[in-house]
Amino acid sequence: MNHKIQEKENKTMNHKMHDMKKMKIDIEEKNKLHKHENHEQINHDEHHHDTPVEDSEIREWRKRLIWSWILTIPIAIIMILERFFEIFIFPSMEISTIALLIISFPVIFIFGWTTIRGGIRGLFTFYFNMDSLIALGTIIAYLTGILTFFIDVLDYSGVAAMIMAFFTTGKYVESLARGRASREIMKLLELGAKKARVLRGKNEIEIDISGIKIGDVMIVKPGEKIPTDGIVVKGESSVDESMVTGESMPVDKIKGNNVIGATINQDGILYVKAIKIGKDTFLAHIIKLIEEAQSEKVPIQRLADKITSIFVPSVLILAVLTFLGWFYFTGYDLSRSVGIAVAVLVIACPCALGLATPTALMVGSGMGAKRGILIRKGEAIQTMKEIKFIVFDKTGTITKGKPEVTDVYAKVKGKEKYLLEISASLEKLSEHPIARAIVEKASLRRYREVKNFKILRGRGIEGKIGAKEIIIGNRTLMSEKKINLKDFEKTINKFESEGKTTMVIVENKKVLGVIGVADAVKEDSVSAVKELNRQGYKTIMITGDNERTAKAIAEEVGIKEIIANVLPEDKAKKVEELQKHGFVAFVGDGINDAPAMKQSNVGIAMGTGTDIAIEAGDIVLAKGSLIGVVQAINLSKATFSKIKQNLFWAFGYNTIAIPVAVAGLLHPIIAEIAMALSSITVVSNANLLRRKKI
Amino acid sequence: MKKVKIEISGMHCASCSNNIERSLKKTPGVKDASVSLLLKKGTAECEDFVSDEEIKKAVKRAGYEVKNISQE
Repeated sequence: MNHKIQEKENKTMNHKMHDMKKMKIDIEEKNKLHKHENHEQINHDEHHHDTPVEDSEIREWRKRLIWSWILTIPIAIIMILERFFEIFIFPSMEISTIALLIISFPVIFIFGWTTIRGGIRGLFTFYFNMDSLIALGTIIAYLTGILTFFIDVLDYSGVAAMIMAFFTTGKYVESLARGRASREIMKLLELGAKKARVLRGKNEIEIDISGIKIGDVMIVKPGEKIPTDGIVVKGESSVDESMVTGESMPVDKIKGNNVIGATINQDGILYVKAIKIGKDTFLAHIIKLIEEAQSEKVPIQRLADKITSIFVPSVLILAVLTFLGWFYFTGYDLSRSVGIAVAVLVIACPCALGLATPTALMVGSGMGAKRGILIRKGEAIQTMKEIKFIVFDKTGTITKGKPEVTDVYAKVKGKEKYLLEISASLEKLSEHPIARAIVEKASLRRYREVKNFKILRGRGIEGKIGAKEIIIGNRTLMSEKKINLKDFEKTINKFESEGKTTMVIVENKKVLGVIGVADAVKEDSVSAVKELNRQGYKTIMITGDNERTAKAIAEEVGIKEIIANVLPEDKAKKVEELQKHGFVAFVGDGINDAPAMKQSNVGIAMGTGTDIAIEAGDIVLAKGSLIGVVQAINLSKATFSKIKQNLFWAFGYNTIAIPVAVAGLLHPIIAEIAMALSSITVVSNANLLRRKKI
Repeated sequence: MKKVKIEISGMHCASCSNNIERSLKKTPGVKDASVSLLLKKGTAECEDFVSDEEIKKAVKRAGYEVKNISQE
């Protein structure tokens, strides 16, 4: 609806513009108006949340529904009066039949035309669908009306119209429920801003979102969407990022901060330089991920898919057999046998089977998306209930992932500055977070020249400054290089017991000093781990740190078991070992632990604000909080149990309803109502998932 | 290998999406296909020589219309 209104308004705006041109209003005033109109447009776009595709489908079914019933109600009245009360409106039976045939015709062949056409086409091309069943059922029933003029048979043409009317009703209600099921996802898909105000030269101009180039400075006023991912170059404000990260509190933004496209600026004017556009933006990534997940199959669905693929032809054969069986082997007449066969055709419902999984998955992933939990692989929600171990990577997952230098201990007092200087010069060449912390701490203006620089993965670095050989690294590296740590044992032990990573700085085989680096635990890690422990999971922390550092952190957050001293490349191996004892979920940042995540049964990748490692995780958390892990687990379990419920219902319905129809116990109209209700039940049940607290 | 995104109209039941998947997979050069009934979208993984027209034909053969087709 909104779409149309907006279109209209745009048109009137254009008209206005034309009129103004004609009236030759002076240029300045026109510009003012132009700007004003565009601002309005932006606001329109922001409130534009409905889903045009889904709406048009619902509208279409509603139209058919109304017309079908306008014609079908008189048919029902005529039939009830004639058959139950023996009151005849028409002078003869023939005229009554002709009347029913005429009124039924448009219900089936005009308002039900897409169903009839699709169904018949399916029959001829062997791409059977549920329309084939309805089409065949109604056409056969309708033909009995014509046959009454030639042989002695009951007229089912009115029944045919009623079947179609109920089918249409069912489809309408189902399309409503499906629309509801995909509401959150559709909202997300349409979240992106449509227009942007950018600075070109000194002019502020309004352009289409697709016109933004990297480097453009966008001006975002309070209440407006940030058009695309960028960095704040001027101004300060707070930004509501809840739509993409699930973080409910607005995030403060100042110059130099990254902002995400489609998030809403709250109170100040922000000047944002565009750094990512089009399909590279955070939102585009999330959307891609969610779309892909929707066409992913949950393993449990495969059986349902197999059944639906042979379902329609099987029912067609069954209907023929039912007809022949009743007609030839019992004393039933043609009319009754046809009626029973039609009931078999229309009661069978592949729809409920087919909708069971995707609707539940849709609602589940919608609920997740709202909270910044992105289910990437449908399989994950099925596997989740088997999980026994939850392995957390330490850095960036349990902890903030941004270590800071806390202690600088030099062997010779007063040499601390020198210690930092040579460390920073070497560490400058490394990308490691600890290296960055040291560089940050030293904050040198000039670095010393380093030669023969080498990264020793998981252990440290080495290089030459002038003639001096420098080694910086952990205990493992020191014993590897046979460095004597005797004088530093006490300091190192103290740092380690405090959970600090200790880097030993060696110059020409002699220890100069140690630097302690610590990475603080995230605020909600403790409560998340507590909840997971309570739910009976075995929580394990894996880290490259030594045993003592690891233990200190693990104790702080409440993790019982640790696997310490693990090189990044060995994490996958450790996961594999654990898998001998049960299913493993791996929680990490998805960057340096991607292999471990792949190896695990369910990989949960944590985002860090503006970056998410999409490829690695089965489930991706947009917000880097461990509470998200708890929510993701709860959501997966709830969604999967919903899928199971739905499939159970759909299988159950068909296994009971079809035999009952074959047995001749159901009137075709009752059969059709039951069929329509079965798919509505499945979709509505999926919607009930929303009531679940996660 | 390429990945083609297809927007499809006319689907309204689960056998519909199954049929389209089946028809796409039968097309020479198409390795894998999956269609989402709820999003009215599908993806096909196929060899580079498979043209958009062939994809459209496959969808049409199953009885549905392609509204939009794009490559990733």
